[in-house]
Amino acid sequence: MESHGGGRPPSLPPPFPGSNRTSLPASLQSTRLVVKPLPILPLEIIATILDYAPVSTLMRCARASKKLKEIAYDDSRWVNKLVAMGVWNEGEARKRFEDALKKKRMTQARLAEEERRRRAGSTGPGEPPKRISMGATLFDVDEQQARTNGETDAAGKLAQEVDLMALSPKPPPIKQEQQLMGVDTADPTLTVLSDVRSARGFARQEYGRVYAALWPYYIDLVSARSHTDPVVFRRYRNPEDQAVMLRQLKVFSESDSSLGWAERLDRLNSMTSIFENAVLREFEGGYEEQDYEGRMKRYANVLILLNGGQGAVDLFVAKHYLMFERERLGNPMDCFNNLHSADMTLEPARDFFKKLTTAVNEQSELIDRIFPASVDVMKPFLERIGEDVIGEYVSPLLEELHDRDIETYLPSVTEIYVNVLQFSKAIKPAHGSKTNFSEDMTRLVIRIFEPHYDLYLQEELDHFKRLCEQEVESWEKKITDEYTATESFYMSNVNRQADKADFLTSFKKVILMPVNAIALPPMKPINITFPVNPFIKPKAQPSPSIEDPVPEVSTPTPSEMPDEHTNGNAVVPNGSASMQPQPAPTSELAAKAAILNSRMEGIRTLFSIELALDLVHKAKTALERAACFVRFGGQIGEEAKEQCEQIFISLVQTLGQRHVKSGFDKAVTHLSQYNPRELSTADEDEQVIVKPLVQFMELVNVGDLIQQMLDVFYEQELVAHRLSDRHDFLNPALKEKKRFEQMLDERVAAGLNTGIDVLIKEVDYVFAKTQKPTDYNPGIVGEHMTPDIGPSDAARKVVELVSSHTKLLVGSTDKNVLDVFNQEVGMRLWTSICKHLKIQRISIDGAIVLISDVNHYTQFIVRLRNSGLTQYYNALRELAQIYLIDPQHAKQMAAVIADGTRFKGIFTVEEVYEFVTRRSDWYQIKKDVEGAMYGFGCFMM
Amino acid sequence: MKLLSSDNIEIQVEKEVAERSVLIKNMLEDVGETVETPIPIPNVNEAVLRKVIEWCEHHRNDPPPPADEDSDSRKKSTDIEEWDQKFMQVDQEMLFEIILAANYLDIKPLLDVGCKTVANMIKGKSPEEIRKTFNIQNDFTPEEEDQIRRENEWAEDR
Repeated sequence: MESHGGGRPPSLPPPFPGSNRTSLPASLQSTRLVVKPLPILPLEIIATILDYAPVSTLMRCARASKKLKEIAYDDSRWVNKLVAMGVWNEGEARKRFEDALKKKRMTQARLAEEERRRRAGSTGPGEPPKRISMGATLFDVDEQQARTNGETDAAGKLAQEVDLMALSPKPPPIKQEQQLMGVDTADPTLTVLSDVRSARGFARQEYGRVYAALWPYYIDLVSARSHTDPVVFRRYRNPEDQAVMLRQLKVFSESDSSLGWAERLDRLNSMTSIFENAVLREFEGGYEEQDYEGRMKRYANVLILLNGGQGAVDLFVAKHYLMFERERLGNPMDCFNNLHSADMTLEPARDFFKKLTTAVNEQSELIDRIFPASVDVMKPFLERIGEDVIGEYVSPLLEELHDRDIETYLPSVTEIYVNVLQFSKAIKPAHGSKTNFSEDMTRLVIRIFEPHYDLYLQEELDHFKRLCEQEVESWEKKITDEYTATESFYMSNVNRQADKADFLTSFKKVILMPVNAIALPPMKPINITFPVNPFIKPKAQPSPSIEDPVPEVSTPTPSEMPDEHTNGNAVVPNGSASMQPQPAPTSELAAKAAILNSRMEGIRTLFSIELALDLVHKAKTALERAACFVRFGGQIGEEAKEQCEQIFISLVQTLGQRHVKSGFDKAVTHLSQYNPRELSTADEDEQVIVKPLVQFMELVNVGDLIQQMLDVFYEQELVAHRLSDRHDFLNPALKEKKRFEQMLDERVAAGLNTGIDVLIKEVDYVFAKTQKPTDYNPGIVGEHMTPDIGPSDAARKVVELVSSHTKLLVGSTDKNVLDVFNQEVGMRLWTSICKHLKIQRISIDGAIVLISDVNHYTQFIVRLRNSGLTQYYNALRELAQIYLIDPQHAKQMAAVIADGTRFKGIFTVEEVYEFVTRRSDWYQIKKDVEGAMYGFGCFMM
Repeated sequence: MKLLSSDNIEIQVEKEVAERSVLIKNMLEDVGETVETPIPIPNVNEAVLRKVIEWCEHHRNDPPPPADEDSDSRKKSTDIEEWDQKFMQVDQEMLFEIILAANYLDIKPLLDVGCKTVANMIKGKSPEEIRKTFNIQNDFTPEEEDQIRRENEWAEDR
């Protein structure tokens, strides 16, 4: 029946310190064997039981046996209690422990030193023996201490040692101490909690002090029947002391973990709230009497001592007159001048904020008078102001505005936002305000606008989109109106019911020659062409000059020329076009041509840079408004940023897809419909120009301008304000911009392509019109005149035509585009020339003209600085030599034809042959040449 | 399923009830589903075992105790519910046997109830009475005991 310790005579100390701990399992084993009279509980169960026991029982258990004492004295049990009360400071405890270790190490070092000296002293003669005894004494002290502390563990022992040495200066309280205003700090009970020191091995003693001070009050309070009974209220008379005690008891109750603690806590809480309510009533009374410095200040302090003063702050804020007398500062509906319209002014709102600023600043001073600096009353106060006063003012105002008119709603949001911001800046912080007061204010502003910003941003974007849509639409409508007006103006003179067969015949004829039905505007008297802008200057049109002699043109059907006008008139049923007071095109074709021409003229109105500017400006205002909210940062900021980008995107889309692209598309369509034969400039015109192409170039310029504008806008408005990141290639705004640029490039390319088509058509037409059969074959007329030196008219005109257009692009387009354009023009021109040559008859005399023509072309091409092109033209130049060969030298001719390498593969043998057939004397020499050729062929085989 | 007490009595018990004991639950999981042979509980006699089973029957539907063992000590020191108080109205020997059995069978809630009951029992008792209750020897000299008493005078109810 012996447990390990029990067998020893009780008077004997344990054999060595800590032996109980190591022999625990053994003792458990032995208890297990005991059956009678009572089962014996293992120690760990007893420890659990003691966890549930109140402190007083626990301490009595400690007297029962050494093992129970060990359980009861276990330091961690007491540390836990201190931790529960929040007065244990782990850092402080650790520091003490480390100090202890250091001290001990120093002691040991000293001992070692002594030891060394002693040894030295024993050998050396002059060593005073006093030293030795001192060392021995020190050692003995240590030894003794070790013995007395036998039961505490090593850490506890260490701490004890040090604490004995470093006990005198009370450690600075690390826990932030409440200013105990009006409290009797001389009474140790009132400060017992803040006096607790954290030291391992001493937790029980420290807790004991607290327990001794507070437990009697605690147990008395929780078992008191009414709030007048408890000793704590009788012992402490002034409310400050009572508050401190209640607060301490509350903390102390946290360490009460024995059975029934929950009940006790409830009692304590209800007692405390009775007390708090009483104090609050006093505080409120003071508030009503406006006794700020007296009652209010005092009881605010009491409440702060009790529980931080939250109750007082809440009451102060909740009962504040500003919350109830909001109407006095202004009614949101004052902003509206009448009941339903959007007619409004924000003057009352500004007034409201001014008044509010003054009122709140007054309150700020008041708060300073009532509350100590340790309590931040301003923040909850302002939060309530923000929510109940500003929020209640701003929300209905904005909602009403939104319902009435978006147009005024949008700028008003920003305006009010600015006002609120000013308000937040104008508020003076109270003493109790934290250092991040301004941040709190910003948060306040954010909270006020939180319910609105979403709607606002959405509206801003929608509004902008709508605006863009409207602008573009109205503009388009205007253009269409103009267009239809033009059309109907022209078409009104033409009978749409005209005989189809008649029309077709006339069409056939007309299409082969220029139509000069409408006289030129006065400023260009010589130029027999369609008015440059017949619609815009209709009154400038003189009467139609049907009688104007059509100049001699060497078209394939010159003989039909005189009939043309009669035919043209035949289509016009009234046949009295010339009698009409209002000049108008008289043939349907002419009418259409005029329309087409004016359409191309309208290219400047296909899209307008003014419109683009206007839209950009609108986007800027929208952006600036929306950007206000970006400053909020966080989620709102992000959303605002996103919305800003959205605005930009919709700007680009409207300008790009809606405006520029459709403009380009229209222009390209018109370009491709352009037929030089329908409305070509007259052949006498020195300045041959394909109007649509020129205007298309202008279009490219304008498009380029718009793109640059967007670019600048993006840089300045979005990137500069950090609304968008230029380097984020996934950025939707950036992507949209890129798409716009791409679209523009594509359109320009498509337009240029069509433009080249049109240009070459014009070239073909010029060839057909101006190249006289006699140019290259002067002999055909009979008279043998000396051929002009230099290129023919046709060649000169073609070169002029082409060069004037290639020059147009210079400077307005990218160099690469320009190169490609030139290359394409050059090639197409070359093909065109070849084709043209193949339908000419060329005599040996004419060959001189031909060669000078080809030289002329080549010169022009060389100026383009495109080596690939130059090769082609050089080949052509060489080819022209073939017409110089005398008919007698058929063999030589054949050699040229058969030599496939001669033209660097640019012309095949067959092609060269084809060219040779265009000699005027071909039928005479055909036999010889072919013979020679086949000879070569055989020879070559 | 059946349990076999230390005095060789078989006791029929529902599996769900028996699984209130973590020991038996683990054992069943190790062995597998169907166990026909009675499980021997060598440390617990019939009377105690029946008492324990009675408790398990009553608490068969209790939610499992919170996993965190070392949570705030206050959380577990809730008051004993009424049924348990009545259940624990047994002589001290039986009470201790129940505690030991609960400890052995690893029925934490029952062990807690037992410990709380004992804690209530020793409340306000003198050291000598406590010694008697726990059946332990006084290994202090009277001087030592007095020293401890003086050390902890603060804890005495006044």
